[in-house]
Amino acid sequence: MLVLDRVSKTYPNGVHALGGVSLEVDLGEIVAVIGGSGCGKSTLLRAISGLDPASEGAVVLDGERIVAPHEKIGIIFQEPRLLPWLKVADNVGFGLGDRPRSERSQRVATALKRVGLVDKAAMWPRELSGGQAQRVAIARALVPRPQLLLLDEPFSALDAFTRTDLQDHLLDLWADAKPTLMLVTHDVDEAIVLADRIMVMRPQPGRIFDEIAVDLPRPRDRQSAAFDFVKRRVLAALDRSLDRAVTGVEGETKADAGAALWW
Amino acid sequence: MTIVAQSSPNQATENESAPARQRAASKRWTRLVRPALGLVLPVALALAWEFIVRMGWASGRLAPPPSVIFATFVELARSGDLQHHTLVTLARVAAGFGIGVAVATVLGAAAGYSPLVRRLLDPSLQALRAIPSIAWVPLFILWLGIFEASKVTLIAVGVFFPVYLGLMGAIQSVDRKLVEVGRAFRLSDVAMVRRILLPAVLPAYVISLRSGLGLGWMFVVAAELMGASEGLGYLLIDGQQLGKPAEIVAAIVAFAIVGKSTDWLIALTAAPFLRWEDVVRQD
Repeated sequence: MLVLDRVSKTYPNGVHALGGVSLEVDLGEIVAVIGGSGCGKSTLLRAISGLDPASEGAVVLDGERIVAPHEKIGIIFQEPRLLPWLKVADNVGFGLGDRPRSERSQRVATALKRVGLVDKAAMWPRELSGGQAQRVAIARALVPRPQLLLLDEPFSALDAFTRTDLQDHLLDLWADAKPTLMLVTHDVDEAIVLADRIMVMRPQPGRIFDEIAVDLPRPRDRQSAAFDFVKRRVLAALDRSLDRAVTGVEGETKADAGAALWW
Repeated sequence: MTIVAQSSPNQATENESAPARQRAASKRWTRLVRPALGLVLPVALALAWEFIVRMGWASGRLAPPPSVIFATFVELARSGDLQHHTLVTLARVAAGFGIGVAVATVLGAAAGYSPLVRRLLDPSLQALRAIPSIAWVPLFILWLGIFEASKVTLIAVGVFFPVYLGLMGAIQSVDRKLVEVGRAFRLSDVAMVRRILLPAVLPAYVISLRSGLGLGWMFVVAAELMGASEGLGYLLIDGQQLGKPAEIVAAIVAFAIVGKSTDWLIALTAAPFLRWEDVVRQD
């Protein structure tokens, strides 16, 4: 459904942010992209979204080349980026500007109910907490029913409790229409909870280093041994991607304390 | 950290009401006394001057005391002259303001949004801005005559620049993150301006409108001083030529009152559209 063919990105100042990324994502899949700082994961997401098109290579969605923002693609940023002059309900309905008002208000009401913010519909964005604002941003992105939803570190600015809350919430919302999700995150737990596949990227220039499938049934228990096993695999891949000393997957020699600090 | 044990409910409410009463008292202070503090200096000066003239220490001829000014004011109002001249001046300001704001909004929005338009227009406009306002008067009089057209044009020129600059600068300063939201939702250029840029610049735009209005009042004085038979500016010249300083001061007071009122009108009209702002407000 989404095909990336040797996508590269070089900035005008010469920085070679992406060096030939190729991957395929099926409809309804959840893919997490994870990697050390500067590995180009946000650049990759922005290239897919069309906001910052690639310098070389192609991003193809359902056979159509993506060179600019597309109606089938929704994006959620690290900040909620709500329009401060619109109330919550108007923010959620922002992407439906060309629809008749009755349809808009109905879809907005449904979306607000799904994210549990019906009572906040008439409030200003400045009156919301960080988690609430991000939920509104998610509702806004989902209302136009995109086939591909891109999330660029959507929960990194939130506290740990809100983060786990919203991760579960996102899965809930995803289950409604099962769009394809592509998530950039630096939170390994988040990647394992949400994703079917985890792409580990390595920096300079950014490219896919490893791919780890997460075959656990949902809902995933963050405390389970299986979860832990996948987590150690991912951390090992991250360490290797940064050419650090590898921690043994099967519990061999323990790595240095700093080995897991890959960001 | 000390832990205060509250032994009875009565004691609890008593402990709470003292700071609460203090807060209510300080709120009264804030609401009533603080705005009045701004009046202390002018009122004190006026009373002092009145006293000095009454005591005969100054003649009060060239600088009339408040009582004389007030009497002149009342006389002008009674004869209908004050209202007439005020309305004439107000009409000129309104017309000049309307035209200046209209042109400035169109050009400011275009220059703010399009780098090409900005590079074409802005250098010329900045050059024009450097010309002192009074310098335009002889030219406008030659081009447009000595009646209303030249005056309204002069006011429009004065109003134009702050609004144009303010709007252009505000559009260029719009948060890129919000513009990206517009791009992510594939807004057309027109929709981007209408739905994101203009609402985002509204606070700065209102400030530039108030600034432009202030200049409009300044320019109407210039226009009316250079040859008018009506208007508050005419009253200034009339008072000067007839040796009636009280009339001059009365006209100045009228300028101040009407000017402040029009500014307050803009602020009042804009307030409901700016309720969303996430700022610290002192008023």
